[in-house]
Order: sequence, then C-alpha cells, then structure tokens
Amino acid sequence: MRAVSLPETRHGERTLLVTLVLVIAALSALPVLRLLIEGFSLAGGLSLAPLRRALDDPATWVATRNSFETAIGGTVLAVILGTVVALTVSLTDFRARHAFVFCFVLPLMIAPQVTALAWLQVTGPASPLLQMLGLAPPMGSKNPLYSREGIILLLGIQYAPLVFLTLRAGLRQLPREMIEAAQAAGAGRWVVLRTVILPLMTPGLIAGTALAFVSSIGNFGIAALLGIPGKYVVLPTLIYQRLAGLGPSVLSEVAVLSMIVGIIAAGGILVQDVLARRSDYRIATTSIAARPFPLGRWRRPVETFAWTFTALVLAIPLLGLVIMSLVPAYGVALNWGTATFANYAYVLVEHAAAKRALFNSMWLAGTAAALIVVVSIPLAYFLVWRRSRLLRVLGLAAELPYVLPGVVLAIALILLLLKPIPLLGLALYNTVWIILVAYLARFLVLGLKPIISGYQQLDRGLEEAAQVAGARLFQRLRQILAPIVAPAAAAGALLVFLTAFNELTVSALLWSSGAETLGVVVFSFEQAGESNYAAALAVLTVALTVGLMGATAGFARRLPEGVLPWRD
Amino acid sequence: MFSRLQRVMLLGGLILATGLGPGPTAAQTGKIVLYTSQPDRDAAQTVAEFRKVHPGVDVEIFRSGTTEVMSKLAAEIAAGQPKPDVLLIADAVSMEALKRDGRLLAYAEAKIDGFRAGSIDKDRTYFGSKLITTGIAYNTAAKLKPESWLDLVRPEMKGQVSMPSPLYSGAAAIMLSAMAARPDVGWGYFDKLRALDAQAVRGNGAVLKSVASGEKSYGVLVDFMALTAKAKGSPIEFVFPKEGAPAVTEPVAILKTSGNPAAAKAFVDFILSDDGQKLAVSQGYVPAKTGIPNPSWLPAGTQINLMPLDIAAILAATEGDKRRFAGMFGG
Amino acid sequence: MARLTLESVSRRFGAFTALDRVSIDVADGELLAVLGPSGCGKTTLLRAVAGFDPVDEGAITIGERRVSAAGIHVPPEERRVGIVFQSYALWPHMSVAENVGYPLRVAKTPVPERQRRVDETLALVGLTGFNTRKPAELSGGQRQRVALARCLVMTPSLVLLDEPLANLDVHLRHAMEAELASLHRRTAMTMIYITHDQAEAMALADRIAVMDNGAVLQLASPSMLYREPASETVARFIGEGMVVDADIAGRAADATRRHATIGSIPVAIRAPAGSRVEGGARVCLRPRDLAIAAPGEPALEAHVVRTLYRGGAFRIEARAGATGDEILRLDAPEPCGLKPGDAVRLALKDGWLLG
Repeated sequence: MRAVSLPETRHGERTLLVTLVLVIAALSALPVLRLLIEGFSLAGGLSLAPLRRALDDPATWVATRNSFETAIGGTVLAVILGTVVALTVSLTDFRARHAFVFCFVLPLMIAPQVTALAWLQVTGPASPLLQMLGLAPPMGSKNPLYSREGIILLLGIQYAPLVFLTLRAGLRQLPREMIEAAQAAGAGRWVVLRTVILPLMTPGLIAGTALAFVSSIGNFGIAALLGIPGKYVVLPTLIYQRLAGLGPSVLSEVAVLSMIVGIIAAGGILVQDVLARRSDYRIATTSIAARPFPLGRWRRPVETFAWTFTALVLAIPLLGLVIMSLVPAYGVALNWGTATFANYAYVLVEHAAAKRALFNSMWLAGTAAALIVVVSIPLAYFLVWRRSRLLRVLGLAAELPYVLPGVVLAIALILLLLKPIPLLGLALYNTVWIILVAYLARFLVLGLKPIISGYQQLDRGLEEAAQVAGARLFQRLRQILAPIVAPAAAAGALLVFLTAFNELTVSALLWSSGAETLGVVVFSFEQAGESNYAAALAVLTVALTVGLMGATAGFARRLPEGVLPWRD
Repeated sequence: MFSRLQRVMLLGGLILATGLGPGPTAAQTGKIVLYTSQPDRDAAQTVAEFRKVHPGVDVEIFRSGTTEVMSKLAAEIAAGQPKPDVLLIADAVSMEALKRDGRLLAYAEAKIDGFRAGSIDKDRTYFGSKLITTGIAYNTAAKLKPESWLDLVRPEMKGQVSMPSPLYSGAAAIMLSAMAARPDVGWGYFDKLRALDAQAVRGNGAVLKSVASGEKSYGVLVDFMALTAKAKGSPIEFVFPKEGAPAVTEPVAILKTSGNPAAAKAFVDFILSDDGQKLAVSQGYVPAKTGIPNPSWLPAGTQINLMPLDIAAILAATEGDKRRFAGMFGG
Repeated sequence: MARLTLESVSRRFGAFTALDRVSIDVADGELLAVLGPSGCGKTTLLRAVAGFDPVDEGAITIGERRVSAAGIHVPPEERRVGIVFQSYALWPHMSVAENVGYPLRVAKTPVPERQRRVDETLALVGLTGFNTRKPAELSGGQRQRVALARCLVMTPSLVLLDEPLANLDVHLRHAMEAELASLHRRTAMTMIYITHDQAEAMALADRIAVMDNGAVLQLASPSMLYREPASETVARFIGEGMVVDADIAGRAADATRRHATIGSIPVAIRAPAGSRVEGGARVCLRPRDLAIAAPGEPALEAHVVRTLYRGGAFRIEARAGATGDEILRLDAPEPCGLKPGDAVRLALKDGWLLG
C-alpha cells in the first residue's frame, strides 16, 4: 500500500479532516473517556478500588465468558443465515425477490425484546400453535429457549439482516465476467462461490460479521428476557444488576464493567482490521450484473424453504404483537367475543404522547440516518483510502457507544452534557437534541461499516480519474464517490433508521417532556403492566414503516441504482 | 435581608408552626422538577391534581423505571448538578441510600398524622405515599389456591413459580431481605424455591406476562398490576399471603439541592393530604394514610397484613443478600 | 501543450527504491514511451508525474510550473494532466457523455459548449452517438475510447497513458495503436505512454525510456535503442538482442568500427564514438547481423535448436560452441531445409560494442 503522508493537503481537505476528527472525538471518544474517568473515581478522588472489586468478583468473569459464548455463537449463526440468504437472493433465479428482501429486513425494526417474547410464547406451554398441534408442553415446564442456546438462536435471527444488508450491496456490484471467467476455467457453481464470489465479498462479510458481533455483545433485550430466567448472566445484564444497586459506587462499577465490554469489542475490531488489510478486494471493472444461477429443480424447494423461514422469523413476533394488541388484557384468548380495537383507539386518540413519540422517533431516526451517512461517506474515505492514523484510532472509539448498553451511553452523555458545553454555551440537556446526539454516537458504526466495505471494493482509479479531471475533494465525494457507494450507504442508513426507530434504552434516561420517543412510551406502558397498549403502538409502528418502505419504491427510479435493497 | 423566596418559606413555616393553616399552605409559584417511577398516567394525574391546588407551580416530569431514574440521578450527582427537586420512586431503600449520602432535605413540619407506622422516615426526609404490596398472583387455571408463602414451596410447585429478580428490581430486593431476615421464612425458603426451579425474571411486568399467559401458574407480584389486569379480563387472581405481604411505600422526598424548596414542600404536602391520598386510591393503590377508604378491588374493612420492614437494616443487608441470591439463582 | 522535465526524481517506500534518480526531459508535443518489465517503476513514475504520489528527491516540472519537489506538491486536480488508466476507471453511474463531460463540468464550462466539445471528442475517438450509453453496456475497446475521450476533452497539458492497450485483444490493439499514433499527430499533445510491450513502444514513440529497478537505463529514439543499446539489459530487452563475448583489437578502416573476434571469427563491429575498449568485451548482435554462411566463408560452427515458420521466412534458433549458452537467432528465407539438431554455419555481418 501507499505511504500515509499527505503532503500539502489542500486547505479544504484539511478542514474536512479536522472536522471529522472533531466530530468523531466529540461523539464517540469523549463520552467513553468521561465514563472511563468515572470508573476510576470514588468519593471525589481517584481510586483503583472499583476496578479491583469488579476484577475480583467471579460474577464478572462468568458474565464475560458467557458474553463471549453468546456473541460468538450469535454472530456465527447470523453470518451463516445472512450470507446464505444474500447469496440465494442475489445470485440465483429466485422469484419474487423484492418481496422476500422486504420481509427479511423487516424484523430488524421489531425490538429484540418483542421478538424474544413472541418466541417464548410460541414455544412455551401457552403457545396457541403448539396447543393446536397438541404438542404444547405441560404448564410449568421449562422453556428450552431460557438457555445459552436460546440466546444464541435469537441473536442469530435478530442480526442476520445486518449481515444480509451489508453483503447485498457488494453482491450487486459483482461483475459478470468474474463469475464467467471462473466458469470458463471449469469451475462448478460451488467452486465459483467458494473461490471467487466469497473472497470478493470479504469486505462485506467482515463488515457484516463485525456488526453482528458488536450487536450481539451489546444486546440487552434478548439476554434479559432469556438469560435472567435461564440463570445465564452476560455483561449487559450484569451491568443492569449493578445499576439496580445502591450508593455512590454504582457508577464506577458500571463504568468498569463497561470497559470490559469495550475491550472485547475493541479486540473484535482489531481482528477485523487485520483481516481486512490482508488483501485487496477491489473490483476494477465495470460490467453488467452477473446472470443468475439457475436453481433448476431446486428452485421450488429453495423458495419454499426461504419463505417458510422468513415467514417464521417475521410472523412469529408480528403475530404475537397483533394478537396482544387486539385483546383487552394479557392472557385473554383472542376470539370474536374478546377482539377489540380499544388499544389502538387509546394509543391513537387518547394518549397524546404516543402520537408525539411516533413523530419524534420518526424524525430522530431519519435525521440520525441522514447525518450519519453524510459523515460516514468522507469518514470512510479517509479511513480506507487515506489511512489517516488519527482517524483510525478514533474509528475504534466509534464502535464503543454501540456496544455499551444504552443506559451506560446515556449515563456517559449525562456526565458530559449536563452542564452547558463550555465556550459554546450550548445547553443540550433536557432537550430533544441530546437524544439526537446519543443516536449519532450510538449508531454511527451501523452506517459506517457498510460504507467502509463499499470503499474497499472500489477501484481507487475511479477517484484518481476525477482528480486529474480537476475535481476537488468535495466535488469528488459528491459527484463520483457518493453515487458509487450509494448502495452501501443506503444499507447503512436503513440499518440506522430501523434500529434507532425502536430504540429504547438510551432515551429511557435522556427523554424530557415533549421529547418522548417510541421506546419511552412503549417502556412506560410495559411498566404499568399495559402490554396491550405497547403492542398496539408497536403494530402501528411496523405498519407505518412498511408503508414508508413501500413508498420508497415509488421514487426508486430517481435514485442511483441498487440503493434500495429490495429493488433491483 | 430576606429574598422573596425565603420570606415565603418563612411565612409558610410560621403558618405551620402556629397551626394556623388549614389545608394547603400559601400558594406557591415557580417551577419544580419531579423524577418519578410511577406509571405514566398516574404521574400525569398526580401533577394535574397538584396544580389545581398550586396553579402557579410548573412541574416538569421525568418518568422512567426505578433503576433508570436512579441511574440518571446518580449521573447528575456525579456531574455535579442534580436536576430534580422532588423524587417519587417505588421503594424506600433507595431513599434510605440517598439519605445516607446526605442528599435529602428533612421536612420536619410535614403533616404525617394518621400515616401507618413504618411508612414515614423518622428523620422526615422521605414519606411513603401509598402501599404497594407484594403477594401471590396465580392463573385462574392453576390447581391450587395459595394462601401462604409456604404454599409456593410445596413439591407440586416444581417449575410453576415465577418471581421478579431482586438483582434487577428494588422492590424485589426489599422483599428478599425482609423475608430472608424472618425466622419463619429465611434463606431456607429460597433454597427450596431454587430446588423447585422457581424462575427469577426481570421485573414485575415479566411475572405478570408469565402468569397471565399461563407459562407459569404462580407468580410473586405487586398487587395493583395483578388487580388491574384482572379488572381488564386477564385470567389472574391475587392473594395476600397470611404471613403478611411486604410492601413498598412509593415515598416522596425533597432533594437538598432543590432550587425551589417551598414549592417542593407544597408538592409533598399535596401527596400527604387527604386529596392526595384519595387520588392514590382512585388510581388503584392502598393509601398510606389510615382512614382513607380502600380502593375498589379491596373490600372495605379488609385488613392487609403488612410485613413490618426495617428499612435501615435492609439497606445494610441488601448488597450481601443480593450476592447470596445471585449465587443461588445465577444471573 | 508543455514539456515535462524530471530532474533526478527519487521515490522510496521504506527500504525499497521505486524510483532511483530518474531524469527525463520530454519535449513539447513529443510521445515518449516508458518501457520496462512489470515492477520496474514505470507506474510509480506515472503516479509521481500525475501527482498521486509525492517525490522524495528531485523535481518535476510541467511546462513552466514546478509541480513536485522538496516542499512542493501540486495536487493532481491542479496539474491539468490527462490520464488513461489501465482499468479505464469509467464511472459506472454516469453515461458516456457524462463521463466524457465531467472535466468540463468540474471546470464549470457552460452546458452548450460542454455538449459541443463532448460530441467533438466522441467523434474524434469514433464513438459518435454513444452519448447515453452506460459504461457497462460497452465493449472493452469502446470503454478504452471513452477513457481516452474523457482525457482529451480537457485539452490537458500532458497526457499519461497507463498500458492503455493491455486489456484489448490483438486486433483491437493494432487498430488502437494506429489510432493513437494518428491522434498524436493531429493533436500534437505531449504524451507519456507506459507499456511493457516493446513492439507497441517502438511503433508509437518518438523516444523510449527503458526502465529497470527504478532507474532509466537508456532514453533514446526507437532506432537508436535498436542499433546502439547502452547496456546489456537494454540490448536484450529491445529487438531480440543477443549478447556474446568478443575480443577487441583496434580501429577498423571505418573510424566508427572496431576489429573484433567472436569465437575466432573476425568481424568489424560498430562502437560508441570515442570508445577505448581493447581486449575482452561484450557485443550485441541482432538477428539481421547473422546469416547462414556461404561455403568457405569464416563462420561459427553451430547446431539448430528450433525453427519457427514466420510466413515467407524461418526464424532459426541455434547454439554455437564458441558463444556458450547464448541462443543465436537469425532469419532464413523460405525454402529452408534445417531441422532441429542439424549442423549449421553462421556468418557474422555486424555487431555493436557495448560500453
């Protein structure tokens, strides 16, 4: 690779670089640093006591080991599922792929704890499905999902779309010649897959794997719902235990445990960095998309299997939500006599905050997605092509706000932003803007990773050609690079939007009157034991998002090719 | 030189001291910030009713789970600027911890006549507003109608019991320490629960879902959740065990750092007033003050057998008890 | 149009020297080929001239402007250097017209003029009517022309071509070779042509810089390189040169020649002016310097290793005991009855004294 030096960087470029460094430092590094300080302070002074206590506590190590097990297991499952689906959908003559992609991505926007609850119900003694089949276990028997394997299963299902989306952007740009060259060399379709397609997709695979890993490490919803009854504690649940403790040392202990989460994540990132640097995956040709592999007589079985799987993954939680939203109280069986729209009416008409929350979450998630893409396109450029060392270190920091439990990030931001920002005199605390800041910090990595993999698959000559044509960096980014990495950027934006839309834990600490998010309202319904309202709101949310996603098809023609994962 | 605020406070104090003021003290103005873990609707009602008495006071609410509220407060304290004037959170042990750290303002003049023993801090830093008891909820399809805590450790209860984990819920932690300290229950009780595969879940909401959906037959649950669900049609019943039900008091307290202690005191006054107590009843809670009629789900005259609690002792024991519980029940 | 001067340019990557004190002076309107095996530094040279890489030592001047030197680095977007990339680097999201018109768009050329110049340039490369096509819909040769058009439309001060024909098939390559030559004649642009193919370089270039290991071995016209290679490496790399040992005895009657003995055969060979070499030396032979000897003519005793038919003539490869392992190549007209293993006598007509 070329050396790092940036001789005589143009004034504009330097300004951009400095801006990016400042943005990442402010969003990612500062909150984490502030938390670190908290981990070493006790009763106003510096102390190693919280660190020592956490390290001496066997529970810390049990949780660390368990976190590793579930995160690795969940990641492996998510990568396998996501990759198989992405390859099948993108490279074969699979029919109705648009609808399929749509359905496969949709579960991302159902909160993990909702998904987990639905699975518990479907597989438990009260399962309507199992009762219908006469297979329902007797009341009181232990649900097998309350276990390490259960957590791994649900993590894998929850995060498979992450891998799918990052891979799909790359697979669309796979040129036909590369596959045909391999076929001409006598390679069968499996050999082509193994020796040509998968190696070329390495950047997307690495990015998807990394995202699934940090998501699994940081996941609280699934771990709490399955792990606590299953007596299987992971780091995020242990952190919640400490938060439920009392006294002045709570924050330090939480900070120390968060550091362990951060270290694990950083380890994962370093491995990924080494892997990504080992070789070169640039595709230096321009070509039409690969011709689909005919599935032949396997077409129907493959389609049936894929649709059944997706229907299960989507329908189980969705059906659970719909049923819950249509009955007056938990545990009431749904039939013509009990069905009611009262929950919807309450949420839509009576409850002012619910509508406000829907609106707030919509614009917060949308703004976060847009801003993150705007930052990530130049940021990934400097990370991948300019290899700016300072930014690379900061790039590590960018992942931390995502792996920490949301509550911990919220605490870090409170510590940082409670008082008005010095010099600027800007008071963000208790405004809706602190939630936006939190979303930007937390979900940056979701937008950044796919874009990084997009750049890694790009021939640098495309930029250099624009450079010799006289285009300045800003022009190149806007007119050349952004359109070319647009599919990857769109995948990133979608990930950010869907994840932020049903986010709960960050805003649970940061919201203020009038600035409720959907998560906050759902959480408060749940806490009052009013799960039916929560379900009605969640169903409305899903319906609204499906509507929005569907509406995008209308103006898809005006977008660069391949931007919408569910459009060709 | 007295500021206007101080004069108002002084005046209020004088009125109280001389016993001149029937009902609410002088009308207050300004703004107070309330951090609460009450359900959303209850919190909004409480503030609305308070403002009928003190229309000049703006109340800003932050509502979240107890853990979330306490975490937010802890972060604000660490950053040097706690925002709330008034706290209204589920359990007294958290209040006791704040009191120990010197965060709470003593309000000696608060009118506490008629309040049940044990619901008021002896130093008048926090005041129980209601009684939220923990009893046994069971699915209507359950075979046995439990009456005692000990019914949950019968052999046929294997795999049938769900309870909130004290590691994640303050109210459950209080119950753990209270029951573990009792000679007739003690740690042996929890040993038996563990042997019967009792399931500890995160929070009361999860217990409700588990019992109402029929995943488990029996659950350790707070009263109002079970009874609200029952009223809406959930297949669930609730009993106060005969040994007594441990209760949290949802105490209200003023922070020493409050910028508007006069209005904060007025808020506490409202909570402790008959109107405030009746409001709690109308929301489905057992009032902390005696002589106020019980909520509709509780037949008039029903005597709830409360488990007496020593909050200070529980605070001292809770960390150790949780650790021991974690050792038995895993996460 | 401008001249390009490289003065002792060096570029190092760690311990590896990619460019070693390279000095080249390209005249205005000249087409200079940079020829060398892969890894010789020619691409590094191109990137340094284009401004993608800074130089560690030395200076690069385009026209009157010093663009690279210690402490100076004019970024590529300000050099007005056109490049045709080996991969063509066409932007997949833009049509042919958008690709070609991009440099004008960046320069804020008014739209009507932009359209006119795009059309003109597309006509110049023979792609009239392709405006709305996307790069993915073009053949390799068409893409190559689009890349060329994009480079020409900006009327660059200097055009850099990075193995532009390497991705084309043989027929297309010859056709494009001819087109490039005619284009160069018509536009009179200064061009640097990077290639590893000596036939391409010979056919197109006014002068050729032969590079190896980051250094320029010789910079001269194609015929000079052929006739008077400066070193053994150049001799071998260009024109199928053979290098053999010889004994130099002194000036011949023609002052530019020397008496030499190659394997006991006397021959008058050409020598660099002022060469004072006596005794043992190395001599470059071209196939045309060798012939099958007439009977009685002094000749090297050799045996045929291989014969290749080349339409109307045979290429004979032979090995002579006197010249060791060196394969001697010569052309023999048809008919020719030689087979591998046959003895053959080779007469020496000419040679070039190296050094």
